[in-house]
Amino acid sequence: MIEWFKNIQWEHLYDPQLAWDSLPFLLDAAKITIFIALISMFFALILGLFLAMARMSNFWFLRWPARIYISFMRGTPLLVFLFILYYGLPVIGIQFDSPITAGIVGISLNFAAYNAEVIRSALMSVSRGQWESAAALQMGYWQTMRRIIIPQATRIALPPTFNIFLDVVKGTSLASVITVHELLYGAHLIAGRTYESMTMYITAALIYWVICIIIGHFQERLEKRYNRYLNKT
Amino acid sequence: MIYVKHLKKSFGENTVLESIDFSVQKGEVVCLIGASGSGKTTLLRCLNLLELPNYGSITIGDQAVNFSGKKLEKKELKELRKYSGMVFQGFHLFPHKTVIENIIEAPLIVQRRKRDSLVIEGEKLLKKVGMFEHKDKYPDSLSGGQQQRAAIARSLMMNPEVLLFDEPTSALDPQLVREVLRVIEALAKEGQTMVIVTHEMNFAKRVADKVFFMDEGYIVESGNAKDVLETPKKQRTKEFLQLLSE
Repeated sequence: MIEWFKNIQWEHLYDPQLAWDSLPFLLDAAKITIFIALISMFFALILGLFLAMARMSNFWFLRWPARIYISFMRGTPLLVFLFILYYGLPVIGIQFDSPITAGIVGISLNFAAYNAEVIRSALMSVSRGQWESAAALQMGYWQTMRRIIIPQATRIALPPTFNIFLDVVKGTSLASVITVHELLYGAHLIAGRTYESMTMYITAALIYWVICIIIGHFQERLEKRYNRYLNKT
Repeated sequence: MIYVKHLKKSFGENTVLESIDFSVQKGEVVCLIGASGSGKTTLLRCLNLLELPNYGSITIGDQAVNFSGKKLEKKELKELRKYSGMVFQGFHLFPHKTVIENIIEAPLIVQRRKRDSLVIEGEKLLKKVGMFEHKDKYPDSLSGGQQQRAAIARSLMMNPEVLLFDEPTSALDPQLVREVLRVIEALAKEGQTMVIVTHEMNFAKRVADKVFFMDEGYIVESGNAKDVLETPKKQRTKEFLQLLSE
């Protein structure tokens, strides 16, 4: 124990000056991280909604492909999927114009599966009575969906959806392996040049944390808004 | 007003309604009574097409729908539904909307009427059911009786020819039952046609013109409310009423 303590390289543990000097570069890289996360989550939500609808469809030819897709995406690591997209697809003549595009496509397609399950369970958790009372009031399927079911399902889906969003933000770091110049990639570059790995990776981790705190704050505000009708006048 | 002929409904192999025939005239109040599982709620839900009968026909107002064999058009069902409003045992108000928003939602979206005039009309209805002071509250903050009165007002906003009640007081505490029954009695006095599934026999005696006693999917006995409830002819009706009075 004492030996281990003696061997710690204190001078390499954290260099605040290097962290401070690297901050502009890392924040630029963090912009890429945020950009990829936002765009990916946007597409993952849209695709997730369609997948959820397909999964709940009465038609087997919609239900089964959606089911298989969701199972595959949830059952394979994002990193493997990114490798397939970026290094595998060129074999059949499909090449992305940039690693960022490949990253966005990969993350969107992968997390759409998780969103689909959250959306499906949220839609299904709205009570049958809501559908029936809307039907008794002569509302059609889409009117009921838009005005009655989706607003209630959104409240239920918010916390798990934001969990997914946080995973997306952190998942963007995997795009560094296909040379996307995002936050981890930036930290890795400086660490390689300065040999101050600990400083750079801790700084990158802190930036990820701050991004997630901001998202968490946004989630709280949204939840408050959607929960306003629960036991309040 | 309502004509039901040879109505039959099964869930798989389980037949829950068999050869149902009855009519309800405009302004009449009909109470459906019977033990749990006798088919009362299914019959009511068939009238509102929340359940589709397998056989027979239903005519409400000018709209007749025949269920015998053919696949029904959505338009046909929608037309029939226009004539009836449904009040559920569990209220089923929209929890994310205030009382007044609940009231105006369907006419706003389905009938595409103007919001301003709907709010005025909705407030009048809420006054009528004693809910005006709660108009800006969310359902979650209301008692069961208040929610049920709001649900009645919501159904009335669509101007239905006939109002269907599925055990409107069963989910309420005893002290809240009276406030809902009072609203229904007031509607009966105004001549609103109603079909009510209920276990409140005293209420049925006061408000109903006709009472149908159902058992095992059949209407076993029907007639003037006083006759059926006080001097029933059929043995099964007698047994049911006897059980209730014990």
